[in-house]
Amino acid sequence: MTLLRHLAGGMGVAVGLTLMAGSALAQDCTTKIGTVLPTSVDWGRPIAETAQFAVDQVNAAGGAGGCKIEMVLRDTQVDPKVGVDAAKALVDLEGVKVLLGAVSSGVSMPILTSVTVPGGVMQMSCCSSSTAFTNLAEEGKTEGLWFRTFATTAVQSAMGAKIAQDKGYGSVAILYKNDDWGQDMARLIAADFEAVGVAVTASVAINDGQPSYRAEVTEALGTQPDALYLALYPAEGTAAVREWISLGGTQKMILANSLKSDEFRENVGLQYLGETVGTDTASPRSESADAFRAAYVERFESEPNGPGLGNSYDATMIALLAMEAAGKDASGADIAAAVRKVTDPNGTAITADTAGFTTAKEVLAGGGTVMYQGATGNVRFDANGDVSAPAVIWSFTESGTEEVEYLSLDEVDSFIASLN
Amino acid sequence: MIGTISYLVFFATTASILAIAVLGLNLQWGNTGLFNGGVVAFFGAGAYGTLILGGTPQDGHLGGYGLFYPLALLGGMAAAGVMAWIVGLLTLRLRHDYLAIATFGVAVAFENLMRNAEWLAGGAKGVRGFERPLRDALGDGFLYNIAFFITVLIILITVYLFLERLVASPFGRLLRAIREDEEAASSLGKSPSRIRLTAFITGSVILGLAGGLYGTFYAFVSPQDVLPTLTFQIWAMLIVGGAGNNRGAIFGAFLIWGAWTASGWALSRFAPVEAQLYTGSMQFVLIGVVIVGMLMWRPQGLLPERLVVSQRGSKE
Amino acid sequence: MIQNLIDGVLTGSYLSLGAIGLTLVMHILRFANFSHAELLSLGAYAALVFDALVTALAPVLATKLGPLSLTYALLFAILISMVLTGLSAVLIDRLVFKRVREKGWELSMVFASFGMALIIRNVIGLIFGLSPELYSKDIAFAMILSRDPLILVKPDQVFVLVAALALMFVLHLILSRTTFGYALRAVAENPSLAQVNGVNLARTVMAVWLIGGSLAAVAGVFYGLSHQVIPVMGRDLVLPIFAATIVGGIGSVYGAVLGGFIVGIAGNLALVVLPSGYTPSIPFMLILIVLMIRPHGLFGEARA
Repeated sequence: MTLLRHLAGGMGVAVGLTLMAGSALAQDCTTKIGTVLPTSVDWGRPIAETAQFAVDQVNAAGGAGGCKIEMVLRDTQVDPKVGVDAAKALVDLEGVKVLLGAVSSGVSMPILTSVTVPGGVMQMSCCSSSTAFTNLAEEGKTEGLWFRTFATTAVQSAMGAKIAQDKGYGSVAILYKNDDWGQDMARLIAADFEAVGVAVTASVAINDGQPSYRAEVTEALGTQPDALYLALYPAEGTAAVREWISLGGTQKMILANSLKSDEFRENVGLQYLGETVGTDTASPRSESADAFRAAYVERFESEPNGPGLGNSYDATMIALLAMEAAGKDASGADIAAAVRKVTDPNGTAITADTAGFTTAKEVLAGGGTVMYQGATGNVRFDANGDVSAPAVIWSFTESGTEEVEYLSLDEVDSFIASLN
Repeated sequence: MIGTISYLVFFATTASILAIAVLGLNLQWGNTGLFNGGVVAFFGAGAYGTLILGGTPQDGHLGGYGLFYPLALLGGMAAAGVMAWIVGLLTLRLRHDYLAIATFGVAVAFENLMRNAEWLAGGAKGVRGFERPLRDALGDGFLYNIAFFITVLIILITVYLFLERLVASPFGRLLRAIREDEEAASSLGKSPSRIRLTAFITGSVILGLAGGLYGTFYAFVSPQDVLPTLTFQIWAMLIVGGAGNNRGAIFGAFLIWGAWTASGWALSRFAPVEAQLYTGSMQFVLIGVVIVGMLMWRPQGLLPERLVVSQRGSKE
Repeated sequence: MIQNLIDGVLTGSYLSLGAIGLTLVMHILRFANFSHAELLSLGAYAALVFDALVTALAPVLATKLGPLSLTYALLFAILISMVLTGLSAVLIDRLVFKRVREKGWELSMVFASFGMALIIRNVIGLIFGLSPELYSKDIAFAMILSRDPLILVKPDQVFVLVAALALMFVLHLILSRTTFGYALRAVAENPSLAQVNGVNLARTVMAVWLIGGSLAAVAGVFYGLSHQVIPVMGRDLVLPIFAATIVGGIGSVYGAVLGGFIVGIAGNLALVVLPSGYTPSIPFMLILIVLMIRPHGLFGEARA
């Protein structure tokens, strides 16, 4: 029956979009922003939907920088050539000053080096995780134009190790996605597990698009670990975990935030996920923390669970806030510089929704600064455009996920320090 | 206006680089009849070779030799050539489908090695830290792109002229003779296997050259650049343009790459807002329809092989 | 090790079914059909739709067969899907491949099939969404055959293997005992000579597509039953199926069956010797080795 739900869901979104378009306030000008995301990939489409959602909210607040925002979306096909060309077309032909994307580091990187930095355009990625960006920024080659809302993998892996330690697992097997993110995760989590005295029995790479993960799962299963750590995306994650459970593997699992997904929960089955906990970056403790979530549920009729959704929303919102702060006809560098003004820890706290954006407009117009409290937390960029955030440990419930434990930024930092 | 020109220069650079690759494949398939299903491996060897040899030092993997750029590019081409030599020795006695799938396997193994062997080329993260040549002198804006485009265009024309002469030479006739009737060729005292190998290596070196230029253009290469999609794209360019015809190969590269990017642009511009999220899949459907339609309408390609070439008798 | 072998055989069963259709098409129509694996997707999604439909119309049929996660409804759906997928294969041939065949040359067909694969895969993605679907959300637990060494087998997989072997046996009977089987072989050997001898070429081609399509549908459903149904499953399966066909030798049904099992086993055993990141290369290394020794596959014959 999920089939029918898909069809109905698709139509619901379409109707929603039409309504939104109708209710947007009329402006006499339109500013375009560019988005390059892999919309032809299963997990890519929701990321793009979420970005559009943020744009619609901002338009409902009257747009940014005095103009209505139009998001021009291009598919990358996860092909670097196609992504770079799309980005170049957006910059040169559509004249965008802000580019959102891409997801894969292998696509974001050539866009950064050959399109956005040469073109003086701000690029903000929701999901590119490669440490190569940090190195590039340290060398001064990003010229302050690069940002990403994807919290560094270090937080995820440290929280994973904390769970194993708290639960008293003696040994853990790791299944990781064989891309730049997964390889980083596998290396970090193995080191962190070791630091807290948890043995790693096996670390098995899961390649994209393999017809079966039976052999990989068997490999991990043969080492008989106390628990399983998963740094996978929903499609492979579902396939691997169903295999794992059917072969009698332990149901004690630790998940990276990429598996905080309804699709994963439904397809594996809640009855097998009782002992499973995951990690994620968190929203700050404030009354407004639910704003994003509530609005999201209203729009999509499901929780914002899935890889990169919160990150995509934040990337879009911060970019638009920065456009607001930089004013009309600002250059990419101006907008990039204005990011500090909207993620200022001493600024006025604003929520992640239309009301929050309206408040931000007033504060910024009065010469103040704001602190954006986003879907993935109190986003704060360091000099390299990297973000750090508080963390949360969560588990699955009937309707989605619930928080098990909350760790403030300081607690996260001190735990990471204790690992070294 | 300047934006449009800037984009067109950028587009033409990518298309020209791909056209060089299509020319390399045309020598292998169009002229010699070698069904190379692993185009991307040789393209990738060139890109990785160039960036590793010409880049700045990186932690944890090979590279940072900082070679003078033309040497690095030659090194990338040599890497492709050496790989072609080994692969050719192992597989060239196979025919058609068998050769295609064997070389395809080589390409998958190449991508796999690059993705997993972090000590070699950075693993899934790829190779970065490459300084584009003459960047200090030209900056990295429009001026640089123009200069780079002209360089690529000159290389494309050079490769084209080289191949035209090669095809018209006795060696070229020999290639076609082997393609059409190997037994007849060998009965005339020629060694088909050696000639096939020579053509395979030459074509692969050209593919490596294209790869090296591609890596230079983006100053970055990762396993995502060497997925089978690229093999498919380059083949589609050759088939649509016209196998066996070098001008067709170049034309096909511009046409297919143009259609590929223009369809994405058109969908993002003209598709209604509700459909935007589905344009990715729709674009693939369109690409499929164009290819199938083309093959139904004009299977020899837009510029078919001109068989008169080999009958040019007198040579001064 | 033994577990890997068993898993390999079970994986091999659906690869074999896919490879049989591919090898027949490659033999009779002489082109590498890259869209063959999309017929598996087509079959799997058709079964998904009819499974839902049959269950809705007659809820009684939603009961499971013994320890299997397979329901009576799905069994029905498989039969319908076999027919539909076979007919779709014929239709695709009529609309596309036949026309390309008449005008073009060998490689035009290969690329037309590539184009068709893109079309089918993405149309499925547009209709059904890009996320995986399951025939049954319940997880069927594996039976423990032995504790030391640990050997686990899922009931579904045993069913898949038995059903696949049964289908292969039926096909064997058809090919070796009926005039149709002879006609098929005659066409493969020499199409014009076969026509002179009264074999209807068009009908034979149609039959090949019907058989190939319906076996692909079964393979697709079996794959979905063991794993999941996802629009890109054709893309993921096309290479192992090709590998099976090539290893077995183009045109040999028995080669395809053996090739499927070899590729399945190799993929599963690979992890014993290599890090898991390298698994996608294994089928190809295997092909290289086989072709080194036998340039036309295990059971293939040289042909001009």
